[in-house]
Amino acid sequence: MEPSSSEFLRGTLKTIVLKLLAEQGRMYGYEITQSVKERTQGEIVLTFGALYPVLHKLEQDGLLITESEEADGRLRKYYSLTPQGSQTAIQKVSEFERFVEAMRTLLHLQPTLSVHPPVSYPTT
Amino acid sequence: MKALDRQQIGILYDYLVRNCSDTRLARELLDHLACEVEHYMWIGLPFDKAFEKVQLDVDTQAIRQLQQTYHHELADADQLQTATLDDIVFENRNKAYGAYDLRQSYTIAMRNALILTIGLFLMLMALLVAMKERTWSYTSLSGIMWLVGLCATTFAGGNWYWQNIRQKLLTPEQY
Repeated sequence: MEPSSSEFLRGTLKTIVLKLLAEQGRMYGYEITQSVKERTQGEIVLTFGALYPVLHKLEQDGLLITESEEADGRLRKYYSLTPQGSQTAIQKVSEFERFVEAMRTLLHLQPTLSVHPPVSYPTT
Repeated sequence: MKALDRQQIGILYDYLVRNCSDTRLARELLDHLACEVEHYMWIGLPFDKAFEKVQLDVDTQAIRQLQQTYHHELADADQLQTATLDDIVFENRNKAYGAYDLRQSYTIAMRNALILTIGLFLMLMALLVAMKERTWSYTSLSGIMWLVGLCATTFAGGNWYWQNIRQKLLTPEQY
């Protein structure tokens, strides 16, 4: 994770995880990091140190349920959304989209503002 | 994708358990690490090299940090749900000093004191009425007041005594 993007990522990690699970249904930790990496072409890389606390927090809040299955000689923990989790996912994604929209207008205002000549104060 | 054999998974698990005291966390990270090692092996690295490469990402510090995050976000949340205000106030303070115990027993002590006061008051009233009328009957109003007062006093006194004994049993010897 790049230091510059990690700052933005911290607040959106929950949304990312919920959105992915809403689309895929059932995923395990490594699968989530790989999926994020693939979709963003390596732009966003989730470290396990960032991902697992979020997963466990969501599980504790009752948004996710887990099932453990044995795969290749080890236990694999799959996460999926609860009904409450699906609702939260929809809500979080729409909230985030509104936020991104607001950020975009905010960032695009900048050039038009800088066109104006600098204010000159009268000297008395 | 190339799957790790049992022995290789064992090596990974040993590495995790050495760095991570929480076995539940270690078991979940095991799958994550194993997947990453498999990925590097699939690219063409031998197991040792792949494991070394994964260790660069998953160093001891990262695991420790993860564990701390766990304690903050999960354990505290668990405790907070059951914690009373006293627990929160005395979180980082000396509980053995005595103030914590006093606060803990405050409600019971208060209840006992209230019942004791009411009981004694009823008995006193009954006694005064009896002295004034110079007759005594358990079925009269004053008689019933006396009985109720006696019961309340006994209950409160007994409860107080029992609480004292229990506290002495629960408190470990300090000297």
